[in-house]
Amino acid sequence: MISFSPSEDQKLIQDTVRDLAAAQLRPRIREAEAAGKLPDDVARSIHEMGLTTLSLPESCGGQGLALVTAVIAEEELAWGDAAAALAAPGPGAAAYALLEVGDDAQQRKWLLPFSGADGWKRRGALAWSEAGVFADGAMKTTARKDGTDWVLDGKKTFVVNGGIADVTVVVAQIDPAAGWRGLGAFVVAADNPGLRAGNRQRTLGLDAVHFGEVVLESCRVPAAARLGDGDLTDRLGRVFARMALAGAARAVGLSRAAWEVTREYCETRQAFGKPIGHFQAVAFTLADRLMDVDSARWLVWKAASRWDGGTDARRDVAMAGAHAHEAAMRCADDSVQLHGGMGFMRDVPVEKMMRDAKTLALVGPTVEMLDQLAAAVDLGAPLGPDLLLPTPDVQAVFT
Amino acid sequence: MIDFELNETQKQIRSFVHMFAKDVVRPMSLQCDREHRVPDEFLLKLVAMGNAFRMGAIPKDYGGEDDGAGEIRDQGPGGKKGSKQANRVAVIGAEEMCWGDAAVVMNLPGPGLGGPPVRSMGTRDQQQRFFGMLTAAGLHYGAYGLTEPAAGSDVAGIRTACVKNGKGWILNGTKCFITNGAKADWVVIFATVDSTLGRAGQRAFVVEKGTPGFRVGKIEDKMGLRASETVELILEDCHVPEENLLGGEDHYRTKEGFLGAMKTFDSSRPMVGAMALGIGRAAYEYARDFVRDNYVLTRPIPRYRVLTDRLARVARRLDAARMLIWSASWMADEGIPNAKEASMSKAAAGQAAIGACIEAIQICGAHGTLQEDHALLEKWFRDIKVFDIFEGTGQIQRIVISKRILSGLKAF
Repeated sequence: MISFSPSEDQKLIQDTVRDLAAAQLRPRIREAEAAGKLPDDVARSIHEMGLTTLSLPESCGGQGLALVTAVIAEEELAWGDAAAALAAPGPGAAAYALLEVGDDAQQRKWLLPFSGADGWKRRGALAWSEAGVFADGAMKTTARKDGTDWVLDGKKTFVVNGGIADVTVVVAQIDPAAGWRGLGAFVVAADNPGLRAGNRQRTLGLDAVHFGEVVLESCRVPAAARLGDGDLTDRLGRVFARMALAGAARAVGLSRAAWEVTREYCETRQAFGKPIGHFQAVAFTLADRLMDVDSARWLVWKAASRWDGGTDARRDVAMAGAHAHEAAMRCADDSVQLHGGMGFMRDVPVEKMMRDAKTLALVGPTVEMLDQLAAAVDLGAPLGPDLLLPTPDVQAVFT
Repeated sequence: MIDFELNETQKQIRSFVHMFAKDVVRPMSLQCDREHRVPDEFLLKLVAMGNAFRMGAIPKDYGGEDDGAGEIRDQGPGGKKGSKQANRVAVIGAEEMCWGDAAVVMNLPGPGLGGPPVRSMGTRDQQQRFFGMLTAAGLHYGAYGLTEPAAGSDVAGIRTACVKNGKGWILNGTKCFITNGAKADWVVIFATVDSTLGRAGQRAFVVEKGTPGFRVGKIEDKMGLRASETVELILEDCHVPEENLLGGEDHYRTKEGFLGAMKTFDSSRPMVGAMALGIGRAAYEYARDFVRDNYVLTRPIPRYRVLTDRLARVARRLDAARMLIWSASWMADEGIPNAKEASMSKAAAGQAAIGACIEAIQICGAHGTLQEDHALLEKWFRDIKVFDIFEGTGQIQRIVISKRILSGLKAF
């Protein structure tokens, strides 16, 4: 039965996160930006509300909530500050990898600590992208078997929490001949001497998020650290689908925030004797962007709810991700535009939102990849690694 | 609960209407377009199949099968009545039907856009008479006459005059672009007692076919929807009895008279959006199948990636518009005011569908323009444009939206 009505629980979560976002995130976006991290007290609040482990299974210390509930919460967080949504503590993308590729024991071992009292300091990472020219269609980071252990060597880049994470899932090449189908995934703990942080990467936007390189030098992990085996394409595809969905929800939150701030500005700013919103060119722009915001949210909800229902939601996720990021960029761009020169000033939040929107669109699968994926589903083409994975040989992404 | 799956009722209706659109309507599409009409025998067969194939609902009290105001209900647990779903069912059905052919759909008998004003403003007696006429055997239509040569979107500016004359009214003026205006049993005609009064001076009359002084003028020849009749209606000293003034004179002492007429659009806009979506989806699916069947996509030709990219963009604009349509119609079912969302859904769907029809031809290449090989694509391109124009242009929708998002904005 088609319904856009959140349950009482979902409404409660939505309201609670919105209150937190309004009280603690939005007023401090510049503080977090300047510090390059979320203030500790804010990280604590987010963790204490259980937002960092919302959709983890209860066996892993989470609340086992549906993805549709998680995207509602994610939208509200990003409405407060898109950077905070990504810089928040919690296992993040490492959880996606553990849930989709790992087994029960691995999930419990690595995810349980995130729900502990010190969970507000804990972070996860997924080390995926690499730099350089890829002639072979394979990762340059390698995983070599040594006895029962695995030894990882290489350099990963564009990693959210890269080098500062408590748990890093590293994707490396096991079988170079198998190309993108020859990948393996390994969990590396923060205290592993073979893993060290490379440079922190300063970005266009989302300044509070730690993007960085991860360097692996003879990084030795036990056999139990390997997640899954065989061809991981489909499972990693699900990891990136989850990432795309979370990213899309953040994009919706950012869009809505930019739109609301701008609507208000257009009601107060006067020109030619009336509020600028009372000119058609301005009002129509707001109307168009509201269509973007709402339609993006409904597509995200639809994808999440279909995912929860166990249907193959890859097409839905692709549609939601592509639309939400394009919508967010349009909303942020028009928000700056309608603010005029003021929009270019760092005194106003839309200045940051526009930079955040572009950066956000490069965390996880890109619009281009998602569009190709959706088209392939519709055309009945086989879905291989080129369509399911944001392979770093072209248009690399943050993970 | 948030849910985007159709329930059993909705699924059944969708698959039934889809089958009908595919096996019955689509095969008639090109012939109807060429002949600028839908054969009566075909329409009579549909009427025999029941109320599902009517344009606009006739209330149960007046001889119809359902009241059209949301009485289709989901069966709740334990046989309890669930929530209303008429609006959701209507948009799902409209999308499927128009996937078959929109012009044929517009030929379905029924009150059409004339229904809502009769329902919202008409007295019991008037509803009995006018809806009653449409339930007689054969093909019967209502129509809606608002637009004039000099007043389109600016509906407050209509010039058709009405003057009280004894126990009736004398109407003079010209209406244009009236769907089914020539075949209609009656047309709701909007006229003014004094054009300087704006909306306050307006009255709505039901003018019956054959009324002296009421005649059909030009029958329009159009870019698309050619099988749908669009006419000019001329009123020359047309005498309309007082009992045909919708709601009676008291109704117009308050401003509600006119607002009642505009309410027509809150429920019809998501429907028009859904109709556009049906055409857009048809064009998209056609192009998708053409690409799959004719292009060897594994060859490393750069243009292939561009084409698949365009396909995906078309598909997701349609999907996004469908969400706005579903959300507006869900609100209507729930009794939540949805004027803003109705306008958003129509504006987005119209543009998404136009984009789909344009891109579908582009993707198929020159083939797409051919009237012989791919006549449907060529036809949809012609049909779709008006969906961003009728029942409020895209610009008017944005004015409606603007007034609801900006406080203190009365007019531009």
